[in-house]
Amino acid sequence: MSLAAAATPRAGTATPILTATALTARYGHIHALHGVDLRIGEGELVAVLGPNGAGKSTLLRAIMGLSANGGEVRFRGDVLPRNDAVAVAARGIVLVPEGRGLFAPMSVADNLELGAYRLRDKAEFTRRRERVLTLFPRLKERLGQAAGSMSGGEQQMLALGRALMAGPKLLLLDEPSLGLAPRVTGEILETLGLLNREGLSIVLVEQKAPLALELASRVYLLSLGRIVAELDPRGITSHDDLAQHYFA
Amino acid sequence: MTILPSTTSPDRRPFGLVGLLPWLFAAVVVGYAMVVGGYAATVVSFALIYAVFVTGLNLFMGFAAQVSFGQNAFAAIGGYLSAVLTASHGWPPLPAMLLGIAAAVLVAAIVGFPTLRLKGHYLAMGTLAIGLITYEITVEWQSVTQGYMGISGIPPIGIGPYEVTSDRGQLILLSLVVAACAFAAARIRRSRFGRALSAVAGSEEAATALGIEVARYKLLAFLLSAGFAALAGSLFVHVVGFVSPEVFGLHMVIVTFTMLYVGGIGTVAGPLVGALIVSLLPETFRAFKDYQDLAYGAVLIVLLIYAPRGLASLFSPRGRS
Amino acid sequence: MMKQTFLAAGLAASLALAGALPANSQEPYKIGVSAGLTGYAATVDRAWRDGVELAAAALNAKGGVMGRKIQVVVEDNRSEPQEAVTVYRKMLSSDKVDVFVSGCVSAGNFAAAGLLQRAKVPMMLCSILPTQAEHLVWAFSTLPPAGFEVDKRLEYLKEKTQIRKIAVLHDPTPYANLQKSVAERNAAKFGLEVVSVDQYKQDDADLSVQISKARSAGAGAILKIGLGGTTLTAAKNIKQLGADMLLLTSLEDLAVFGPVAEVLGDKFFFVASPSQVYEALPEGALKAGIKSFLDPWREKFKDRDPNWASRGWDGVMLTAAAIEKAKSFEGEKVRAAYEELSGFQGTTGIYNFRPDLHQGITENPFVLATIEGGKVKVVQ
Repeated sequence: MSLAAAATPRAGTATPILTATALTARYGHIHALHGVDLRIGEGELVAVLGPNGAGKSTLLRAIMGLSANGGEVRFRGDVLPRNDAVAVAARGIVLVPEGRGLFAPMSVADNLELGAYRLRDKAEFTRRRERVLTLFPRLKERLGQAAGSMSGGEQQMLALGRALMAGPKLLLLDEPSLGLAPRVTGEILETLGLLNREGLSIVLVEQKAPLALELASRVYLLSLGRIVAELDPRGITSHDDLAQHYFA
Repeated sequence: MTILPSTTSPDRRPFGLVGLLPWLFAAVVVGYAMVVGGYAATVVSFALIYAVFVTGLNLFMGFAAQVSFGQNAFAAIGGYLSAVLTASHGWPPLPAMLLGIAAAVLVAAIVGFPTLRLKGHYLAMGTLAIGLITYEITVEWQSVTQGYMGISGIPPIGIGPYEVTSDRGQLILLSLVVAACAFAAARIRRSRFGRALSAVAGSEEAATALGIEVARYKLLAFLLSAGFAALAGSLFVHVVGFVSPEVFGLHMVIVTFTMLYVGGIGTVAGPLVGALIVSLLPETFRAFKDYQDLAYGAVLIVLLIYAPRGLASLFSPRGRS
Repeated sequence: MMKQTFLAAGLAASLALAGALPANSQEPYKIGVSAGLTGYAATVDRAWRDGVELAAAALNAKGGVMGRKIQVVVEDNRSEPQEAVTVYRKMLSSDKVDVFVSGCVSAGNFAAAGLLQRAKVPMMLCSILPTQAEHLVWAFSTLPPAGFEVDKRLEYLKEKTQIRKIAVLHDPTPYANLQKSVAERNAAKFGLEVVSVDQYKQDDADLSVQISKARSAGAGAILKIGLGGTTLTAAKNIKQLGADMLLLTSLEDLAVFGPVAEVLGDKFFFVASPSQVYEALPEGALKAGIKSFLDPWREKFKDRDPNWASRGWDGVMLTAAAIEKAKSFEGEKVRAAYEELSGFQGTTGIYNFRPDLHQGITENPFVLATIEGGKVKVVQ
């Protein structure tokens, strides 16, 4: 198991859906990005791993246009506007933020509806909703319930379901496993795998590396606002392998 | 007459008659005032005018979860334009009211466009300044507003030769206006726009990430609430026939905030219920003389302890959770 | 469930209480007072109310008016016009008040003027009169014309000083604005020139800008028009600036003037009403008129300033006189009788009402006074 082998990713072949070049961002005074380059292939599921405070959330926010940033982000070849999340969302990039960003006092049904806020086609709306409720049958039982009153796992399902209602082309997920029981996390990751196999491009930010490694086709390691390595998950067998890179 | 299908339950779950109780209460109070007339009619008329104002305030503060201490400015613009155009320039009331509302919305747009980009305390302070500045203008611009002397001889609302002068006529007119406002608020809440406001209220960032134009909707809610405030200001001057700066002073801000929170912020029935309760309570305690304020304050505290989310929320299923 | 029951009961109770209780309009003749017992007018209007109640008690002790006892109904309008409309309405429809002898919140009285006109109930006011012709028909005032307070000061400057240039400092209230216009208009008549006019607000904590401006314009005296703590502020500012100017202030509660006199000494003068300088008045009808009020007043309120209360007393006594003249308690007849009252000796002066003159004091009753060694001394 050599570093060189791990650093030769297989995604070089796919057309990129998203490329970031020299991306910088400030978020408050703590987290920051210092010139991040990354590329996500069409239909790829890429994991971004890194310790707490590495800038993982900031990276997603910067792509989404929520943080002040420098550098360039291209989506299917077009440059994305800076600091205009509405325009980014309009292209089909959807963020499930840290802490899920649900509208807690609103019902599950209303949350889902807001996911498809930009959609005006009734039939398509119904189709998407059926699809989400098939993926997460537990949401169907809780349609009238306030989002904030559900369990953590159900809330994560709703957050994911709401994102799917937007009909994403690229899904940005910020630590979906946070605070969830292993069994529920497993269920959610399984669904992500399914979506990815159907062709959805996904960027998955995680702190729990093993979970992400199972699904991802490629892994970026982020530390102190910089990409420190790009790895093939199949080459990583132990936690020590990862740790090596963090401190390299 | 003010009974509307309640929409305080966003989950569309039927909850029967309980949701109608606030409207029933309002109908009974208005009906009572109409039968008894006199002093009760005056108190309830003022309450209904406040209800229009608070319904607008609720759009901005309840539905969109923003803070404005300056809505009295828009009431003043509506009220003074109505007063000056009718009393000093002989306009009929309706066009004067419409122009007053239009002017208030225009000012709200000019002021709101930069200030709504501010968040939290900055927005609140900005709006407070608008209220204070407008008050100063009404005091100082004596050639038009006549300062503290006020403007009298403002005609009652009417079309052509038909003027609404009787207590009952005014109560009916005001009730219709309030019903229309509540209906509009209910429709807005259920609309795409209303859901967008709820999203803005929940989290501006999450709303933005879903593609909702937060700044635009905040501004829209601000303009709408300014329109309601101006309508209330106009109604006041035509019902009383007199206006002076104190009418739209800081006192109005305090009273309407109390109404909004006592009635239930974010609910459809709350503004009306709050306006009625907060207007009736001090009158109930008038016999207490010097202890009137004490009794009133005590009841307010009790209300806020037992119904912290407002009276109207007691009648909506979500509110009780 | 508990909450709802409690709430329902509360709502029902407030609803029941909020209504008008049936008024007992049998025996007593009811005088309504809309007064700003709280809010900016509190000091003045509480005194006004006490004067009204004192007069009613005095009349009742003598058997009332034409055999009917007088009952005074007081409601607090919080110095706010919309509250005034509510309390006027309450007193009209619930208490069935026969006449109003209301306080100094002019906006409140204006706002309710239409109500009174429709109800055909006259009012005798502390404040200035409404401007609408049809409202004016039913409104009367005990207030001396705005010019009198100003003229007394101008007269003093002309006759007793070398000062020919003066400054006017006023607050934005209607009464102060009226006085300001009079000062601008009348100054020339007294051979004086107004070189600076400035406005301040009742809660201003510093007036040195306005005072510096007056001084650099060459004013030798400041006519300050308006009530409250700003008089002391102005005095302190004049002293701090070392300005050689006289300060001549409006009619005010005497209690305010002690500290001002300590600051400015013999450069401070104020307009006083006759009841405030009772001891210094010559014997005569005016002094006797004041005595009838001042004796019971001092018995009850000791040293409290009698100025505003004395006009409240006059308001009731004028009403009693009108009833006796009309030989009727009816609103329309009492109103007409008010217009016929002339040569009525009150505590503030002689009232001469006319159909075209509803502000009854026609001769300047004021004096100009100063404080010397803690004692009020009349100088003009």
